[in-house]
Amino acid sequence: MVKKVDFKRSKKWENELDKCIRCGYCYELCPLFKSYSWESDTPRGKLLMVHGMITGKIAPTQEVVDKIFQCFYCKNCSDNCSAGVPVTDILTDARADLINAGFEVQGTIVQIDEDLCSVCGVCVPLCKYDALKIVDKGKDKKKIEVDKVECRGCGLCLAACPSGAISQKEGCNVTLPELHESVKEILKKDDKKLLVFACNYSIFPGMQLSETETLVKTPYGIIVTMCSGRVAPELILDAFESGAWGVMVAGCPPEECDHDGNYKTRRRLILLKNILKELNINPKRLKLDWFSTGESAKLQQEINKFVKELENMGPIEAYVKR
Amino acid sequence: MKKVDVENLKKIVGSENATDNPVDLYAYSGDASVHQAMPNVVVRPKTIEQVQKIMRYANKNRIPVIPRGAGTGTSGHAVPIDGGIVMDMKQMNHILEIKPGDVLVRVEPGVVDDDLNRALLPYGFFYPPAPASSRIATIGGEIAANASGVRSVKYGATRDYILGLKVVLADGSLVNLGANTRVHSSGYQLERLIVGSEGTLGIVVEATIRIYPLPKFRCLGVANFNKLEDAGNAISEIITSGCQPSMLELMDGIGIVAVNKALDLGLKEVGAIILFEADGNVKEAVDFEINKMKEICKAHNGFGIELSYDAEERKRIFSGRKKLFAALSRYKEGIICTDLADDMGVPNSKIAEAAAKIHEIAKRNNVIMAVYGHCGSGVIHTKIMLDPKKKDQWKDADKVIEELYDYIHSVGGVTSAEHGIGLSKAPPWKKARADIIPMMRAIKKALDPNNILNPHKLMDAPDDWVKATDLRYRVVK
Ligand SMILES: Cc1cc2nc3c(=O)[nH]c(=O)nc-3n(C[C@H](O)[C@H](O)[C@H](O)COP(=O)(O)OP(=O)(O)OC[C@H]3O[C@@H](n4cnc5c(N)ncnc54)[C@H](O)[C@@H]3O)c2cc1C
Repeated sequence: MVKKVDFKRSKKWENELDKCIRCGYCYELCPLFKSYSWESDTPRGKLLMVHGMITGKIAPTQEVVDKIFQCFYCKNCSDNCSAGVPVTDILTDARADLINAGFEVQGTIVQIDEDLCSVCGVCVPLCKYDALKIVDKGKDKKKIEVDKVECRGCGLCLAACPSGAISQKEGCNVTLPELHESVKEILKKDDKKLLVFACNYSIFPGMQLSETETLVKTPYGIIVTMCSGRVAPELILDAFESGAWGVMVAGCPPEECDHDGNYKTRRRLILLKNILKELNINPKRLKLDWFSTGESAKLQQEINKFVKELENMGPIEAYVKR
Repeated sequence: MKKVDVENLKKIVGSENATDNPVDLYAYSGDASVHQAMPNVVVRPKTIEQVQKIMRYANKNRIPVIPRGAGTGTSGHAVPIDGGIVMDMKQMNHILEIKPGDVLVRVEPGVVDDDLNRALLPYGFFYPPAPASSRIATIGGEIAANASGVRSVKYGATRDYILGLKVVLADGSLVNLGANTRVHSSGYQLERLIVGSEGTLGIVVEATIRIYPLPKFRCLGVANFNKLEDAGNAISEIITSGCQPSMLELMDGIGIVAVNKALDLGLKEVGAIILFEADGNVKEAVDFEINKMKEICKAHNGFGIELSYDAEERKRIFSGRKKLFAALSRYKEGIICTDLADDMGVPNSKIAEAAAKIHEIAKRNNVIMAVYGHCGSGVIHTKIMLDPKKKDQWKDADKVIEELYDYIHSVGGVTSAEHGIGLSKAPPWKKARADIIPMMRAIKKALDPNNILNPHKLMDAPDDWVKATDLRYRVVK
């Protein structure tokens, strides 16, 4: 359905949109493109849509809205735009205009199931973008509201919610059920000894678009989560149980995480190491390492080193016996 | 095209790999050119059989098919001027076989150039003709455009690396062209006919390409010049001096200002910069070559010359050149970089003269043009920078194109050295090469009698590029 939209905020970007030469360097590193692979999932494609809407070439339909609201704000696109077009700023303004016009939006925005939510508020201070607020629902009742323009889809709240009330649309391989599935899928294949959870924001840029899997067999598998803060402890336990000899969580260095998710990961992994001891699993089999954007060579080195250590340790006895 | 056609195509590739959703169609309406036109459907085949079935269906029903890689083409090559089916080849992105012993690889067409080079690295090999767009451009698109790049001055263009091709023709039949060997003298070199055919003769579904052992040493130099003319002359002399640069790039003052503005690189804002590189397995030989080039630069008033063997440092020095094209949009407020008159080839002795002529023509016609490119192999890149909202600026651009190409052709240059003709370069090219157009049309007719493969491009493109499709900008005044 087409709605009448006042593109008050988006219109000011027309000149910037014209500066985009559509070279496509923005999508090389876009997680959305890697998940869906249509041109309409590329940042370049989304800018084209915004341009089309403000110049009247395409109608603002629900389909356009669904695409515009799919973005994790990793900013790999703007950081790699040689024309310096502020891609995510433009998308944020387009989002605001579309929400003002009354569109229903979902995309990568988190959703809260009010039946499950106890309004404990754990998620509220966690969000660096102030996208979560406790509001009155009438009659002494409260609820958590999501600011759909400000939510960046990083999913930290999702990993922290004690009642599992927060969710995100599936399809980009970042929700818990999808991640569990990936863990099992990867460890089923070949002879994988190490599972690496890599942060999209810093590490993903080193990875490839084309598929070379058939050629290069590696003793490790990599799963790209959004922020390392999303790596819930149960995922790591799942990896050990599914046959991994070791798990590495690769996140941004302390000051570099946009969402402060890495601090949370660090705390969480310290606790988890204690639990591992109780399960008779050597805590050295779990490693947390920091990598800045572009440090894929360092990541490779650390992976190789860890694989050697794991080969010395051998498989986990507790699971071998079973 | 009818709804039933879309349904039938969905049956071939699966409904998740075909779309006629207006949002998707709009996203596929353009590439890196100024053109825009909507397809009726986009399909993403994953196998050769699917490509064959699509072609059979399209041929029977006379539906245009436009193969598309990464959509980085600069002249509207992949813009569906007649609507029809856009065939997105990026799902066929497997590197099938790396055979260092036979110095070749087999790849699907959707493999990204940089990914191929990353995969070759552990084997100590590389695929040399990489265009500046190598981070996303696909091998299929590079073959269709006969792309070349910064290393082509020493290593040649895509055509020099294509040993064999599997191609699906307009009627859906699959042909296996070329050989696995470095040379063959076994009839028409049909694999070469496909190189540079811009999707008009067949769909490349697999390529066997030659690879090259990585040199042990690479040394990159950068030299500043106050005058563009001096830089141009230095390049011409390096080429005739017996040196074998593995890269010889020019960037004029306009380009330097633009990358400084866009990327904050802090380059010296001089008349021109030359980047020159030597590579090889013997350090002394590389030293000899690089120093000789350095001396030639000096003799042409080059100054502030730096040399580096360090990979990271080389990457830093080169980053401005790699991103120059888009950065040109930042040169001045109110104007943007359009992909017009972008890649002529000129004889080696004419580089300085052509560079000066380009600036002169631009100035006389109220637009700005940067001059840069792989000048060592005779490629001069320019872009027309203008205010896209003004109608008159498009007339200015049209005049520039006419004048500029008349000059280029008069000195023995070519319309396009590496990006291809597509739509926007067709008028000057057709004018200059009227002699070969009938032969090209005959070949096209023999292979694609129903004219369904990327129709109305190259020799069949409209004579007025401004009106050939919608422009992707809002022209208001
Ligand atoms: C920033 C920038 C820098 C560039 N630098 C260079 C450079 O240094 N050197 C250079 O040569 N070019 C350069 N180009 C131009 C462009 O990148 C090349 O022409 C490239 O080869 C196009 O590849 P693509 O995958 O994007 O193809 P597309 O643009 O998608 O398609 C190009 C043509 O190939 C056809 N095609 C695509 N796949 C197939 C297939 N499988 N079978 C048959 N036909 C097919 C299409 O129909 C179309 O006609 C640059 C472009 C940009 C935007």
